[in-house]
Amino acid sequence: MPDPVHSESSQPIDFSTVLERIGGDVSFLQELLDLYSQEFAEKKHLLEEALARGDSTQIQEVGHSLKGASANLSLAPLQRLSLAIEMAGRENDLEKARQAIGALGTEFIRLKTFLEVHPLEELG
Amino acid sequence: MKILIAEDDLISSKILQRNLLNWGYYVVPARSGAEAWQALQDGELRMTLLDWMMPGMDGIEVCRKIRRRKKYKYTYIILLSAKDRKQDIITGLSSGADDYMTKPVNLLELRARLQTGRRIIDLEDKLLFVQNQLKDLASRDSLTRIWNRSESAKFLREELERGHREGVPTGVILLDVDHFKRINDFYGHDIGDQALLQVVSRLKKNVRKSDKIGRYGGDEIIIVLPRCSSSEIFKIAERVRLSVAKKGIKTELDMVPLTISVGCAASDVTGILSTERFIKVADEALLKAKSQGRNRIVVANGLSTRKQEHKNA
Repeated sequence: MPDPVHSESSQPIDFSTVLERIGGDVSFLQELLDLYSQEFAEKKHLLEEALARGDSTQIQEVGHSLKGASANLSLAPLQRLSLAIEMAGRENDLEKARQAIGALGTEFIRLKTFLEVHPLEELG
Repeated sequence: MKILIAEDDLISSKILQRNLLNWGYYVVPARSGAEAWQALQDGELRMTLLDWMMPGMDGIEVCRKIRRRKKYKYTYIILLSAKDRKQDIITGLSSGADDYMTKPVNLLELRARLQTGRRIIDLEDKLLFVQNQLKDLASRDSLTRIWNRSESAKFLREELERGHREGVPTGVILLDVDHFKRINDFYGHDIGDQALLQVVSRLKKNVRKSDKIGRYGGDEIIIVLPRCSSSEIFKIAERVRLSVAKKGIKTELDMVPLTISVGCAASDVTGILSTERFIKVADEALLKAKSQGRNRIVVANGLSTRKQEHKNA
């Protein structure tokens, strides 16, 4: 079984599912993705702070909320990594949390790159 | 239909809002349990999507608070959560939610489940409507649609108590149609009913807005007059008497003259607090008006009824 923290072979976003969820509105999807990017930056920052403090409750909470946002936009890899962070927080496993948070950052960059290569305008 | 979305995650909330708007709902968003509870003070907000995990007051707590409150119409609650274990679902539903959906929500399923909620709300509305109708039937007289005896007595009791508390007088008028039995016997009960309806309609035009008219029994009518002293009650009674006497009712045979006898009591003179005794005093005044020749008003005084005669118009 592949390690969810280290290998992300699937597509960063499942366009067809997310568009179905929002009635095919591409510009709305763009708006939501921009919102996600802003929130992601804030939450990543919160996670790093929590990690530095050893605050596993905060890690769990932020992981949980990021998991929900990722699921809504059909960002499956980010959703899985957020779940891993939430679980690590719950188990008070800071090392596992650190790894997952690192992988989360990498996955986000992969999403950004993917969106640059596959601009939403081409979806309409 | 108004719907509340209580969801702290902005993206989830936006997606839900967009879809609900498309389905024709009027969406009220809230970002925390406290905000949701604030919004729910609006009694017309009867459908809610509640996220379980919210900062501060969570969805479960909001749910419990909704179910504990009284005087509100039913609020249909769908609890949303990423928790999908059986125990979580049971906990969620036990807190008072009607339905439970795991996130991310499948929107077609949500739409269908909201329909279920609307059916429940429609059912409650129908039930409340019928309940109000029944209440109305039980408190009004079927012929004249004015209040019935027990309802009128209730109004009088409430007004006497309130007047006593606030130091203002309360009045009561008892009146009946002169020679009502004769009208019934001679012209038939249809004309008798017509006479009663005519009297009621003229009374309504000549009492104050705050006064309440009821059928006390047979052709006897009661008027409860809040904030009314013995001097005012006479003026109102006289207005009422004249409005009835000025015109008879037309039948196929001829014009039937219509007059009433009126007994009044006001608490500033009688000093009576008991509803039964207060009515009795007014009834005695009415009897006196009858025995003195009808089509007149007698206002009760403190001990016995004071004669206050007013000749025919």
